[in-house]
Amino acid sequence: MQQEFHEIFVKYHEIITLGVYGTAIGLMLIGLYAVLMKKNLVKIVIGLSILDAGLHLLFIGIGYVQGGTAPIFSPGYEDAGSKMVDPVPQALVLTAIVIGFAVTAVALSLIIRLYKHHHTAKIDQIKSLKW
Amino acid sequence: MVITPIHYIVVPLLAAFAIPLLVKIHKELPRIIPGLVMFYNIIISIVLMQQVNEFGYVSEVIAGWKAPWGINLIITPFSGFLVSLISFMGFVIWLYQYRFKRVIDVGELKSYGILQMMMITGAIGIIITGDIFNMFVFLEIVAITAISLTSFYRHRDGAEAGFKYLLIGGFSSTLILLAILLLYTQVGTLNMAEISEKIHLVPQGMKATILVLFIVGFGIEAEMFPLNGWAPDAYSQAPGPTSAAFAGIVVKAGVYGLIRIIFTLFDIEGAFDFLIIGGLVTMIIAEFSALKQTNLKRMLAYSSIGQMGLVLIAFGIGTKTAVFAALFLMFNHAVIKSLLFMTGSILMYNSKDKTISTLNGMGKKLPFISLLFSLGAFAIVGLPPFSGFWSKLYILTAAAGEEMILLIGAILAVSIVEIVYYFRVVSKMYFAEETEHITIFKPSVNAKIAMGILGAVILIIGLYPDLITGYLHNAADMILDKASYIDFVLNSNAPVQ
Repeated sequence: MQQEFHEIFVKYHEIITLGVYGTAIGLMLIGLYAVLMKKNLVKIVIGLSILDAGLHLLFIGIGYVQGGTAPIFSPGYEDAGSKMVDPVPQALVLTAIVIGFAVTAVALSLIIRLYKHHHTAKIDQIKSLKW
Repeated sequence: MVITPIHYIVVPLLAAFAIPLLVKIHKELPRIIPGLVMFYNIIISIVLMQQVNEFGYVSEVIAGWKAPWGINLIITPFSGFLVSLISFMGFVIWLYQYRFKRVIDVGELKSYGILQMMMITGAIGIIITGDIFNMFVFLEIVAITAISLTSFYRHRDGAEAGFKYLLIGGFSSTLILLAILLLYTQVGTLNMAEISEKIHLVPQGMKATILVLFIVGFGIEAEMFPLNGWAPDAYSQAPGPTSAAFAGIVVKAGVYGLIRIIFTLFDIEGAFDFLIIGGLVTMIIAEFSALKQTNLKRMLAYSSIGQMGLVLIAFGIGTKTAVFAALFLMFNHAVIKSLLFMTGSILMYNSKDKTISTLNGMGKKLPFISLLFSLGAFAIVGLPPFSGFWSKLYILTAAAGEEMILLIGAILAVSIVEIVYYFRVVSKMYFAEETEHITIFKPSVNAKIAMGILGAVILIIGLYPDLITGYLHNAADMILDKASYIDFVLNSNAPVQ
């Protein structure tokens, strides 16, 4: 089963890579659309998260090496030096996910406070401060 | 105990997270501990600046991973100067706020102390780190804490200002992350010195794309037009000491990021012209917006944006005199604008409806505060013998050296606008008839001492500018000397101590 999967993967490698990049950029565009066009504060924050998710996927896609192994030197992974998947983007994505989580948490708490204050979550009805 | 650059980050973070435990021992501790930590930061600055004067730089390798692979902290005369400035401002702002929050309960005081310390740590981290992704992490720490502090008061419109800041900030952080990703695919490293060494291998178009993404990302923290929509709201809704910290600390870190990326990482000709144009537009729009503000803190915020525009112009001219002048202006802006925000928020607190028109007769009711506010106003528009005069003079000299006549005209014209709106406030305070009788909230002694220190710095530097010009010249040399930065980071085999 695993062997079969691997063969399919090698065969359609380019299409899969293209699919990963396409999905990443598509997610980023969807996120951007939500941030710029939506009026509801919660939807804007969801858009921001989708934008981040797309970027994270792009990171992982770029760091991937086809048929690569884990970056560990241990029995069974003797060729890790030449075939390993680049670990740096993965480490960066882990950090970026945590940061994105913190930003989302702060954003949602601000939305709760805005809702208590203005009794609405529509961005065009909250304008006690001018730009 | 040996003092190394890592103390700047570890000690405030440890103290910040220890506060929730320490508050159980004594409820005054969350007030006192930030002060001790800030004082320790000043000690670190003094020790490290002595070492920098002796050896030229201080570098620290973290967890034994040498420079291109691991994270390294490096203090050069330039970053050392900014870090010392931030440490000093952090301590003065603590002194100012020590009794300011007397009315609020322990829980809020606790979170205020934690956020304030983390913001300062983040700002220092941006400046001393040698790793570009690490810089991004610290930038996010600054952004998240600054957003939380902006929305600190429940009864103001802080949440709205904070949400605007968060939207712009979240978007910009995505752009910076994308820029880091693109840079990593091109040069395969995250160490700034190594990137700087390999940047000539990157195709020109890619380089320009990455640079634009970085400029947009860091321009938000540096209050560059049109990315500064958050600034007037955040400054006016945040607590008084936080506004001072924004002007004295956060903006400095943002400008540092911009300068490090343009001067050290990239060598694109057009970037300097871009800085001049961006700075000019920022300055003109901000100063004219300041002219029509009715809220004092909003006016100060727009003035702050205008000053940062002038800093960007000076960096954009790019000669040694200009960079020196820009650093001088950054120092002046930190000291003077913080003083203006400190005095301004006390004046606002005592005015009836928080507008400039209700400041009538404040000169008699609050003589000391009004005097210091006027001192700050005179200094920031550049009247001799205050410190603001020298920085403006050096910027004009630098522009004259490059024969940029139009630029000189624009700076002088904008200075007149500045004089108009500052002197309007000062004349209201001293020469307008007292109209309302209200009970005055007098500032505490420690707040007066903090403001007095800043006022004294303005006067002393104004009379004896030579006290700091030596450090500034070293820092300016360091910004322009890319080769020795690379050398410091990559070839520092012997870690200090």
